[in-house]
Amino acid sequence: MSADVSMRDALYEAPGPRTQRRVRVGTALSLALLAAFAAFVVRQFSVNGQLDPKYWSFFARWTTWRFLLQGFMGTIHVAFMAGVLAIMGGLLLMLGRISPNRPLSAICHVITDLFRSLPSLLLIYFFFLVVPTYGIRMPAFWMITLPIGLAASGVLAEVFRAGVNAVPTGQVEAAMSLGMTHGRITRRIVLPQALRIVIPSLVSQLVVVVKDTTVAYVVSYPDLMQNARVLISNYDALVSMYFVVAILYIIVNYATNQLSIHLAHRGGTQVLSRVDEKPV
Amino acid sequence: MGVAEVFTTFGDVYLRSLLSTWLMTAVCFAGGLALGILATVLRVSPIKPLRVAADVYVQLFRNIPTVSLLVIFVYALPYLGATLPYRACLLCCVILVVSSFASENFMSGINAIGVGQIEAARSVGLSFVQVIRLIVIPQSLRTTVLPMTNLLIATLLTTAMGSQVPLTPPELTGMVNYVNSRSVAGISAFVVSALCYAGTSVALGFLGNRLDERVRIIR
Repeated sequence: MSADVSMRDALYEAPGPRTQRRVRVGTALSLALLAAFAAFVVRQFSVNGQLDPKYWSFFARWTTWRFLLQGFMGTIHVAFMAGVLAIMGGLLLMLGRISPNRPLSAICHVITDLFRSLPSLLLIYFFFLVVPTYGIRMPAFWMITLPIGLAASGVLAEVFRAGVNAVPTGQVEAAMSLGMTHGRITRRIVLPQALRIVIPSLVSQLVVVVKDTTVAYVVSYPDLMQNARVLISNYDALVSMYFVVAILYIIVNYATNQLSIHLAHRGGTQVLSRVDEKPV
Repeated sequence: MGVAEVFTTFGDVYLRSLLSTWLMTAVCFAGGLALGILATVLRVSPIKPLRVAADVYVQLFRNIPTVSLLVIFVYALPYLGATLPYRACLLCCVILVVSSFASENFMSGINAIGVGQIEAARSVGLSFVQVIRLIVIPQSLRTTVLPMTNLLIATLLTTAMGSQVPLTPPELTGMVNYVNSRSVAGISAFVVSALCYAGTSVALGFLGNRLDERVRIIR
């Protein structure tokens, strides 16, 4: 956010008296508009009876939050395992892709692009609907964790590759001229630096993983969203619960994003997100 | 049931499903771009409340999981006096999410322009609107081709959320469920949907790369 302030401010000079007046009028108008919008939202809640204390009072109870927290732990559990899987899978795919072995490289390239171009929901349906027809029974946890991990591993493979490409080629050339082998160069020179470069990007990818876990109800795994649904049927308070859960997810993801930006600033690197890569 | 049988039995549904997925992707991307442009204009405008509101808007819809937004549209809004058809709910959700990412892309496109260029434009006497129209928009469009291509592919993948609400015809992910509940298709239904997604993504990526090579600004 701080980076774009200078650009935003460069777009116009210090306003003169007339423009200042216009800006003040615009500010007042827009404030009124925003207030009207907020008032409209509150009115819609109140005329439909959604501000009734019975829809909100159970949020004052500790048991509600304990149950949501249990769900959130489920979300964390899936996100963490899927993240670990994705990091291992992504690293292997990337190492395969940059290896001098042509067929291996081609296979890893295809797998990476395939995982990147499939929606994680399709992969979840694969593990939920297709795999059981072959008589393989899986716990709900793995039916949600495996597909999310696989989908993320394709993206992470590209993030890792961007990290590897960010290591100056001069270093690799220097290592080669010392007679180091490809494997040794990758292990000793390239990977240690590349991993450090991609840490902020890995953190920001966690947001995508957390978002993907919200469909855990498909396989009836008790995550935050699934537990919220249980509470909705208990308290018959749909609107308030769905809004509260949405806000919880937004807070978690926003915090994760800010953490990754902070790490990137501190490390002097950039967050390489999906948008910076070459499309498949 | 093999892939060939899936085609003969469900071929026409699959075709309609593929076309509907493409159409939804196109509509959502176009809507997302339009809203994203609006949000970006507000984010660089000199009016503080609008800047803040647009920043908050982008952060909200960037960070909300699409499912969470979808359940609000489908289940919560009817309680608040707004009942939308399922497809409209899906389109609105995807458009809102896409617009926030589109705005982030535009912002980084704008930030990629050197401040010096703006100062130069100002010193030759261009007005604010001229600066935006002649300097900022052309350059930021050209630098955002690749990110926008990725966003288009992401839009395609996000329409998979349509499998969570009843749609006729179902979109590609919902098709796996559709086929599986009508026959023992096993892996074939999944493979057909996967190929449709992968084929579309590769084609879009190829076009995006070609366009990017033509318009990229070498800095």
